Amino acid sequence: MDRYKFEDSISAYIDNKLNLTDRQEFEDYIDENSDAKSLLDEIQNNMRLIKEIPKVKTSSTFMTELLHRVEFEKDRLSTKVVHSPSNTVFGFTPLYASIMSVLIVSFITVGYTLWYDNMDNSGQPPNFNGSIAETPNLDSPVIDIDRNQTFVTSAIDSADTTSNKRTKINLDGKVNFVKKQR
Amino acid sequence: MMNQLSQNSYTQPLTMDKQLVYTDEDLIERFQKGDEQAYIELVNRYRDRLMNFVYRFVNDYEQSEDIAQETLIKLYTHKHYYKKIAKFSTWIYTIAANLAKSELRKKKTRKVTNLSQMSTQEKEYELPADQPDTDQAIESEFIEKRIQAAIQKLPLHFKTVTILRDIQELSYEEISKIVDVPLGTVKSRINRARLQLQKELKDLR
Repeated sequence: MDRYKFEDSISAYIDNKLNLTDRQEFEDYIDENSDAKSLLDEIQNNMRLIKEIPKVKTSSTFMTELLHRVEFEKDRLSTKVVHSPSNTVFGFTPLYASIMSVLIVSFITVGYTLWYDNMDNSGQPPNFNGSIAETPNLDSPVIDIDRNQTFVTSAIDSADTTSNKRTKINLDGKVNFVKKQR
Repeated sequence: MMNQLSQNSYTQPLTMDKQLVYTDEDLIERFQKGDEQAYIELVNRYRDRLMNFVYRFVNDYEQSEDIAQETLIKLYTHKHYYKKIAKFSTWIYTIAANLAKSELRKKKTRKVTNLSQMSTQEKEYELPADQPDTDQAIESEFIEKRIQAAIQKLPLHFKTVTILRDIQELSYEEISKIVDVPLGTVKSRINRARLQLQKELKDLR
């Protein structure tokens, strides 16, 4: 047994919680180490002193005061039970019921507004007239120019990669290098 | 309640036969069924034990009495929270310990210190006067104050287990349930608390 194990086992030894082997090992250690023995004695002495300190008792008025407090609590609880149902609306207090009503009305108003904006002028939601089964002919696409004016009026064809070629800018005589100035 | 728990009823203990028969668990069961005399009997059994426990914890007599009363009121108002799977003593000590701990936390957060209180606290650390220690009462009082001061210096989790074990003399298993930590942790905390107390009280013989 070393010092750490000894210190860890002190309470178990005092409370008689060590098994026979550990107890024997513990006792051998304190026989060999006088400081360990004195530490054990001091702890046991402290425990004796702690047990001897007088017990603190309640005052003579404790019981009377307690009964008054119990009586008060009982009244409070019964009052709470009687009044709480009349002060609530669907289980909410008036304040929370008002807040909840405002939130519900706001939610319905905003929801209806958003829904109405998605409809066309006739007040009906837009219909889809095509058929999902129809597939477009990708080999020879036909573009109706009259219907798709945007294709015609567009000056730049974004799909044309040839126009992206860099044009060489003539900078002769426009750029002066520092070395030339000297 | 005053009809059932009249001012005089608590001064009249149950007969000796009943005291021997009824365990704490029997009494709380009777109380849960509406027998308020069983509540009085439980109060009589536990008020001093709780008072002593709380006083060692908060180190203030009036506050301790208040907390002990609060615990017994909780017993009255929350009687149906008790389930028979645990010992009654474990349950009531858990309530008292929680109330005492929150009181200590409140105390810590209070920034303003009352000067009159400060002087009383300082007195507790004072050594006795120059008179010789012939009077046994003075010596006992001195030792008690030293021990009480040493306990107050312990960290909260050490303090709880020390009071429950060395002052209230509860078993390790009960303490484990009250503080809601494993048995091994309780053993370790008690051991370390005792070592710390030994350092604080080294000069006491």
